[in-house]
Amino acid sequence: MPQALVGKEISMSALNTVLSFARQQAPQYQLQDRVQRQPGPVDLAIQRVGKTFQLAGENLNVLSDINLDIRSGEFISIVGASGCGKSTLLKLVAGLDTQYEGDIVYQGKRIEGTDLGRGIVFQEHRLFPWLTVEANIELAFSATNVSKPERRKRVQAQIDLVGLSGFEKAYPHQISGGMSQRVAIARALILRPQLLLLDEPFAALDALTRLKLQQELQRLWEHQGLTTILVTHDVEEAVFLGDQVVVMQSHPGRIKRIVPVSLPRPRIRTAPAFHAIRDDVLTDFV
Amino acid sequence: MSIGIRVALGINQADPVFRRRNQLRLVAFLSPLAFILLWWWVSRMEIFPTQLLVSPDAVLLAFLELLDSGELWEHLSVSLSRLGTGFLIGASSGLLFGILMALSRTIEDLFAPLFQALRQVPSIALIPIFILLFGIEEVFKVAIVVKAAFFTVALASYESTKGIPRHYFEVAQAYQLPARKLYTSVVIPAILLPVLTGFRIAFARSWTILVAAELLAADSGLGHMMQMGREMFRIDVVMVGVVLTGLIGFGIDRIFKWGEARLIPWRKA
Ligand SMILES: Nc1ncnc2c1ncn2[C@@H]1O[C@H](COP(=O)(O)OP(=O)(O)OP(=O)(O)O)[C@@H](O)[C@H]1O
Ligand SMILES: [Mg+2]
Repeated sequence: MPQALVGKEISMSALNTVLSFARQQAPQYQLQDRVQRQPGPVDLAIQRVGKTFQLAGENLNVLSDINLDIRSGEFISIVGASGCGKSTLLKLVAGLDTQYEGDIVYQGKRIEGTDLGRGIVFQEHRLFPWLTVEANIELAFSATNVSKPERRKRVQAQIDLVGLSGFEKAYPHQISGGMSQRVAIARALILRPQLLLLDEPFAALDALTRLKLQQELQRLWEHQGLTTILVTHDVEEAVFLGDQVVVMQSHPGRIKRIVPVSLPRPRIRTAPAFHAIRDDVLTDFV
Repeated sequence: MSIGIRVALGINQADPVFRRRNQLRLVAFLSPLAFILLWWWVSRMEIFPTQLLVSPDAVLLAFLELLDSGELWEHLSVSLSRLGTGFLIGASSGLLFGILMALSRTIEDLFAPLFQALRQVPSIALIPIFILLFGIEEVFKVAIVVKAAFFTVALASYESTKGIPRHYFEVAQAYQLPARKLYTSVVIPAILLPVLTGFRIAFARSWTILVAAELLAADSGLGHMMQMGREMFRIDVVMVGVVLTGLIGFGIDRIFKWGEARLIPWRKA
């Protein structure tokens, strides 16, 4: 049936509709879905990691004894109070800061620098104000040998994917904060990284846009089989998206506990089981 | 609104309202006109000896006379070519040096103290030494312009490069931008506006110091023409030089401003 194979996008979204319909209809489909999504081997091993900053001549212990194993394809949420070292940890994993104690091992190798296979979306969108939306995304290709037409094609596809068609030529100041975040996400995804690091990507957005982008992120993660680490202040967001929620504690920054979220996707925010997990995580903050 | 408040509020040049205000409107000509009228009136009243304070119409006549004989164009073209050569060399090397000193720890450690000390020396104080070093011919005049342009542009590009947010470099690092791309896509655009302002200031300084140098030691150029006028007691010729110096400086400054607004399309309104 050629019509069923018109385009990958169409067949994927059709598949999604069928899956979510199936989830509502019959519980055994959920089971099958989970089996299919079962995480692979350990992809990223964070072992006894510590980080100390020099601040006005004093040693500031920001991270202490962080241990975390993240499996391939897993979605990890990290929550914790402001200043507990979440961004610091993410920068270590990204390879932006290599001065740390302990080991961060990614795909068998200790992290000693940045890698195009590990994409990061910063806490602020960090687009370059002098580059248009498409030029900002295309910049990610600078260190690759992808051909010019191929870059163009992929940039366009990525822009369409994050719903920004028509804004290719806009400068960052001409688009909204939420759109800027989507451009930043597109920039991080364009190189098809296997590991995606997100630092409170939706923190600056209004509640409605945030809900929409959370759904988009979940969709992207499902389609691309990414391993994802999401840092967030928002416990509901952490539970909605994560396979596991890592709760951090400050002074020094350390892991308090890890809460598994074994609810089927997409999660229903109003479901009692969802509330139970969310409230459980919230007790760590009061 | 004062410039200070504008800067504090982040109102910038590409803002259409600002651009409109920036354009010369008719009222802008009121004060120069009043000034010329006052000048004309004072010279008519003969408060000062007429040989000393010549009237505007005498200056205009002298201007036409100099223009007609081709003398003015000769002096002017010599001055402008010295200015152009010196400014080009000084500004481009200053730009390069400023960026490198900001980005390389080694270059900064090596040169920053010397640079900071040397830039405090007024260009005019260097004229005697430059004459001794480079002679009284062209090299000395171009060298003094190079000096004036170099230090001003180098300081502007050094400080603005130092001020590029670390965030931008982290993005560059995350995407492993090659050095060339780092300069063309991050460093240069980030410092463009302050560097252009540096260019404007450097240009004004170069022009002033060149005319001063020509007044002191030259056999051609606008400054020399004024010096000759003074020696022959032709104050009208001196005044032609004064007015032209001002007008040329003003004109080129406007061109820089015009370029600034057009080179930076990404500035928000
Ligand atoms: N470059 C630095 N030099 C010195 N101290 C730093 C540096 N970067 C971060 N810190 C300190 O490390 C601590 C953790 O910072 P970090 O940005 O990781 O917190 P965070 O958990 O991401 O907070 P938030 O939720 O507010 O973003 C803070 O106390 C901060 O002052
Ligand atoms: Mg943070």
